[in-house]
Amino acid sequence: MRRILIEADKCKGCKNCSVACMKAHVPEGTVFSLSDPQFESRNTILLDSEEKCRPLFCRHCDKPACVNSCMSGALVKNPDGHVLYDRDKCAQCFMCVMNCPFGVLKPDRATGTYVVKCDFCALHGGEPSCVKNCPTEAIYVKEVE
Amino acid sequence: MKHVIIGSGAAGITAAKVLREQCENAEIVILSADEAVYSRCMLHHFVSGERQVEELSFISDGFFAEHRIRFCPNVQVTGIDTASQCVLFDGGSETYDRLLIATGSESFFPPIDGLSGTKQVYGLRDLSDARAIREQAKRAEHIVVIGAGLVGLDAAYGLVKMGKAPTVVDFAETILSANLDAHAAATYQAKFEEAGCRFYLDRKVTEVVRDGAGNVSAVTLDSGDTLPCDLLIVAVGVRPMIGFLQDSGIACGRGVMVNDHLATNVPGIYAAGDAAGLSESWPSAILQGEVAAMNMSGTKTTQQDTFSAKNTVHFFGIPALSAGRLVAGPGDVEDCREDRNRYQKVITHDGVPVGVILQGDISRSGFWQYLIKNKIDVTNIPKSIWNVSFADSYGLDENGEYQWDV
Repeated sequence: MRRILIEADKCKGCKNCSVACMKAHVPEGTVFSLSDPQFESRNTILLDSEEKCRPLFCRHCDKPACVNSCMSGALVKNPDGHVLYDRDKCAQCFMCVMNCPFGVLKPDRATGTYVVKCDFCALHGGEPSCVKNCPTEAIYVKEVE
Repeated sequence: MKHVIIGSGAAGITAAKVLREQCENAEIVILSADEAVYSRCMLHHFVSGERQVEELSFISDGFFAEHRIRFCPNVQVTGIDTASQCVLFDGGSETYDRLLIATGSESFFPPIDGLSGTKQVYGLRDLSDARAIREQAKRAEHIVVIGAGLVGLDAAYGLVKMGKAPTVVDFAETILSANLDAHAAATYQAKFEEAGCRFYLDRKVTEVVRDGAGNVSAVTLDSGDTLPCDLLIVAVGVRPMIGFLQDSGIACGRGVMVNDHLATNVPGIYAAGDAAGLSESWPSAILQGEVAAMNMSGTKTTQQDTFSAKNTVHFFGIPALSAGRLVAGPGDVEDCREDRNRYQKVITHDGVPVGVILQGDISRSGFWQYLIKNKIDVTNIPKSIWNVSFADSYGLDENGEYQWDV
C-alpha cells in the first residue's frame, strides 16, 4: 500500500501540511477562513517535551484499531490499504476516537457529528495535499509492504 | 474443511472474514438467530426512527458473496451434538469440522415480583425488542426504564428523540456508574431532565404490577413510590446466550469456558465475544473473533489485548470517553480540570495513568487508553499531565507505522 512516511527530524513545524489539508477538504474555488472552526486539518504537529516537532498523521494502520472499534461499518480498510470513513454510515459513537492508540482521530469541531479522518486525498487523485506542500520533505509517499 | 459459526455479531462476522482470508477453499457457514446482520449498539437509533433496519448493518451489501460465506438467518440453534459434529436447530442440522460459538448475550431480567410473564416488558438487545419498543412507545404515556447504564440510557435517548419522556430507575446513586464518575454523569442527567426525563436513583423496583389483560400498569419502588407504567424496558445487564449448550458436554461457567486460544474443552469448538463472557465491548469482540478464526484455521494465536475497561458516551451533542478507573482509590493521585465546555480527570498511581474521564472535548485523546492499558509511566515526562501525548513516546517503524517508544 501507499503510505505517507514521516521523517520527523526534518519537520520545522510550519504547518503547511495542515493548511493544505484544510484546503483539500473545502469545495473547489472556496476561499476559506483559517479561524472558521468548520475547516479543520486531519493532521497536526505535536511537540514533545524537548520541543521537537512530532507530526501526527493517520498511518492507515495495517491493523487499524479504529476500524476494529467501528460498530456502524463507517470505517473500512480498503483493498488498497487505506482506511476510509463514510460519514453517512457513522453513528457518532466516537469509539474510534477512543481506540486510536496514537490519538489521531477527533470529532469535528464545528458540529461534533462526524470524525475528522485522513482520506489520502481521494478527491485529489489519491495524492496527499500535505505531502505536496511540505517544504522540507519531512513527509513523502512511499509504497510499503 | 468446513467452518460453522453460530452468531452474526461483531465476533462472528469478524471470524468469518478472517477465516476467508486464511482459508481460500474452506466452506464457511454462519447460523444466526437474527433476521439480518445488525449492530446491537445502534438499536436505539431504530427506536428513535433515525435509522431503518438496513441502516443498522455494519457490513457492506456484498459482504457474504464477496467472502463466499453462506449466511443462514432466523436459525434458532437448539443444541450441539459433539460426537457427530453437528449443530442442531429447529427444522434441520449442520455438520462442522470447526465450530465457533459467538451467540453473544441476552437481556437479563432480574427476579422482581411480577416481572416474569408481564406483557409490554422488553430488554433492548435484539431488533425484535427495538421494533416492539418503537411500536408500543407510539401509544405509551408512561414509559419506565430500569437501568441507567449505557443500554438503559440509549433506550431513553431513542425515546426522547421520539418525543417521549421516560422515567429511569437505577439502584446506583448516579447514572452511567460503570462509565463515568458522579460529576460527568450529572452533566448528562441534567440534559436528560431538560428533555423531560425523570430519574429515581438509589432506588430499587420491588414490584411490577399488571392489569387484568396481563399488561404492565405500574412499578413500585423501595421508597414506596408507585410509578404508572404502560411500557417497561429492563436494561440491568446481559448474560451469555448459552442455554442451548446444556447437555452438550461443552464446559460453561458464567459463559462458555475457553483457554487463551479461545478453544473450549471440546476439540474443534471455540467461543468468542459475549458468549464466552469475556468481551463487554465491541473492539474486544472483534479481536476475539480474529483470534478464534486464526486458531480454527490452524495458526496458533493467543489473545494479546484483553483490556476492555474503555468506552465512549455521546448524548445531546456531548461526547465523553473513559478508560480504567473512574474514581481514585488508595494511593491514587487525581488531577481534574473543568471549564464551560469540558471536564477532564486523570488518575495516576506511582506516575502511571490508571484512569481517565474526558467529557465535552475528546479530540485526539485515544492515546489515553493505550497509556492506561500498557501501564506506561509518565513521571519522567517534564510537562503537565494535560500536555502528555503520543509525541512523548514517538516512534516509527520501517514501514512508517507508529510505534510507542517507551
